[in-house]
Amino acid sequence: MRLLTTREAVPLLLVAAIAAVLPLLGSDYYLGVGFALFGWIALAQSWTIVSGLAGYISLGHVVFAGIGGYVLVLTWGAVPVWAGALLGALAAGLFALLVGLPVLRVRGPYFVILTFGLAEFAKYVVINIENALGRFGRLILGGPPLETLYWAMAALALAGTLAVVAIRRRRLGAGLVAIREDELAAGTIGVPTVRFKLFAFALSALLPGFVGALFVLRTGYFEPAQAFDPVISFTIVTMAIVGGSADARGPVFGTLFLVVLSELLWSNFPQVYMIVLGTLLVGFVLFAPNGVAGLFERRWRVRGAPASG
Amino acid sequence: MEILLSGQLLVAALIIGSIYGLVALGLNLIYGTMRLLNIAHGDLVMIGAYTGYWLFTLAAVSPVLAMLAAGALAGLTGAALYFGLFRRQLAGSQPIERIEANSLLIFFGISIVIQNLTALAFTASPRTYQALDTLVRIGEVSITQSRLIALAVCLGLSAAIVLFLRFSALGLSIRALIQHRTASRIVGIDVDRVQAFAFVLGFALAGLAGTLIGVTEQISPFMGFPFTIVAFVVIVLGGLGNLAGGIAAGMVLGLIETYGVALTSANLRSVLIYGVFILVLVLRPEGLLQRRRLT
Repeated sequence: MRLLTTREAVPLLLVAAIAAVLPLLGSDYYLGVGFALFGWIALAQSWTIVSGLAGYISLGHVVFAGIGGYVLVLTWGAVPVWAGALLGALAAGLFALLVGLPVLRVRGPYFVILTFGLAEFAKYVVINIENALGRFGRLILGGPPLETLYWAMAALALAGTLAVVAIRRRRLGAGLVAIREDELAAGTIGVPTVRFKLFAFALSALLPGFVGALFVLRTGYFEPAQAFDPVISFTIVTMAIVGGSADARGPVFGTLFLVVLSELLWSNFPQVYMIVLGTLLVGFVLFAPNGVAGLFERRWRVRGAPASG
Repeated sequence: MEILLSGQLLVAALIIGSIYGLVALGLNLIYGTMRLLNIAHGDLVMIGAYTGYWLFTLAAVSPVLAMLAAGALAGLTGAALYFGLFRRQLAGSQPIERIEANSLLIFFGISIVIQNLTALAFTASPRTYQALDTLVRIGEVSITQSRLIALAVCLGLSAAIVLFLRFSALGLSIRALIQHRTASRIVGIDVDRVQAFAFVLGFALAGLAGTLIGVTEQISPFMGFPFTIVAFVVIVLGGLGNLAGGIAAGMVLGLIETYGVALTSANLRSVLIYGVFILVLVLRPEGLLQRRRLT
C-alpha cells in the first residue's frame, strides 16, 4: 500500500501549503481570512465523517460549535484558555454520544430534520439559561492574539482532513460507507452499525466543539443566537456538497471556493451571498452530486487512460 | 391558576391549533404523495404573510381577499418548482431514499434563497399591521375579528379538503398515491398530474395560512422556519400521510403550546415546541395516531 494516494495527498498538502503561505503575506487581513477558511475546513471535514461517509445528513452541525463556544465562556477565567477550548471539544463530543443513541435510531428524512430541530432546541435552551442568569452576551477580553489562533485553527483543519483520510482507510470508513449504501445489508454482513454510527457521530462533534471555542476567542464575544446560528449549519452542508463529500478532497475544495466568494460578497451583500450559496447547493445536488471533486475526476478520466480500480 | 380555566385560553389554543393543522395539511399532502419533505414549507407561510401585508398597506385590500392572492402566489411558486425541479427527480430511476435525501437538500437551498430574496427586497426588519382588529364578544370570551376569521377559514378549509379527498375522483387518486405509488400507477392513475396537483395545493395552503398568521404575528423574512417545525411535529404526531390525523394533531399541539406557555413563560415557547418535536421523533417516529398502512 502506498503511503498516500493522490486523492489523500492533495487535500493534506493543500491545507499545509495554504497555512504556510498566508502568514508570509504579512497582513492581519490574510490571517483573518485563513482563520475562517481553516475553521470551515475543519467543520466541513467533520460533517463529512457522519454525513458524507455514513450518509446521515446533519443539518444541525452548528450545535457542536455552539456548545464548544459556550463551554469556553463558562470556563473563562476558571481554567487556562486552551484547557477551556479542549473542554469545549470534549463537551461537544460527549453531547453527541449522549444524544447519538436515540437520535441515530431515527433514519432518513426523520434524522435530517431531527438534527435541525435539536440544534434549534439547544439554541433556545442556552438563550433561556442566559436570560435567566441575566446575561445578554458575554465579552471575552485578553484572549490569544490572532496569529496564535491562526495556527491553532490551521492545526484543526489539518487534523480534520487527516481524520477523514485515516477513517476512509480503515474498517470504520468501509463500514460507514456500507451503512450509507444499505444499512440493513451492512448489519447483516457483520458491520457493527450502532457502534460505528455512534463513534462517527461523536468524532464528527469533537472538532466543531474546538472550532466553536476558537470562533468565540476570535470575536471576543459570545451570544447564543449567533453561536448557534443555523446559517452556520447551512454553510457547512453547502461547502461539503459543493466540494463533494465522498472523501477528504471535497470539503477542502468546496470551502476554498466559498470562502473566496464570501470575501467578495459577505461584507457588502450578505443576502446575495446567501442566495448564491442556496443556488449552488440546489445546482450541485441536482447536476453534480459528487461536487467539484467529482467533476475533476470525470475530466481526468475522459482525458487520461481508463481508471484502474 | 384561574386563567387556565378560562374560555379565553381555550379559544386561543383552538385558533392556534387550527392554523397549525392547516399549515401541516399542506406539508402532509406533499410528503404523503411524493415523499418530498419540504423544509421550505414555512417560507411559503412567510410569503403569504408578506402578500397580506403589502396588499393591505398599499391597496387597503382586506386580508380575507389577500388570502386568496397569497394562495395563488404560493401555488404558482409550487408549480414553478414542481415542473422546474422536482418532476425530473421523481421521474428518474433513483431509489426513493436517494430522492428523499436529495429533495431535503434542495428544499434547504430553496428555503435559504427565498428568505434572502425577501430580506433583499423588503429588508430584514420585522413588520406588523393592524387589520380586522375589532373585538368580538362571544359569551365571556372576546376575540379579534381576524382571529375569528382565521379559525373559521382554517377549520372550514381543512374540512373541505378532507371531504375532497374522500369523495372526489382527484382526491381519491391522491389518497391512492399516499397508500401505494406503484399500485396507483398500475390501476391507471395519472401519477404525474396528481403529484403536480398535490404539490401546488400544498404550497397554496401554506401561503393562504400565511396571510392569516401575518395579521396576528410579526412578519419577517426569517419567520418561516418555526412553522416548518410545527408542521413536522403535527404530521409526525398525526402520522405521515394521515391527513385527518394531522388536523387533530394540530389541535393537540395548539393546546400543548398555549397551556405550556401559560404555565411557564412566553420565552419558553420555542423550547417547548422543539422539545415536543424531539420527543415525538425519538419516541414514536411512526406517529402516534398512525393507522396500519401498506408500504
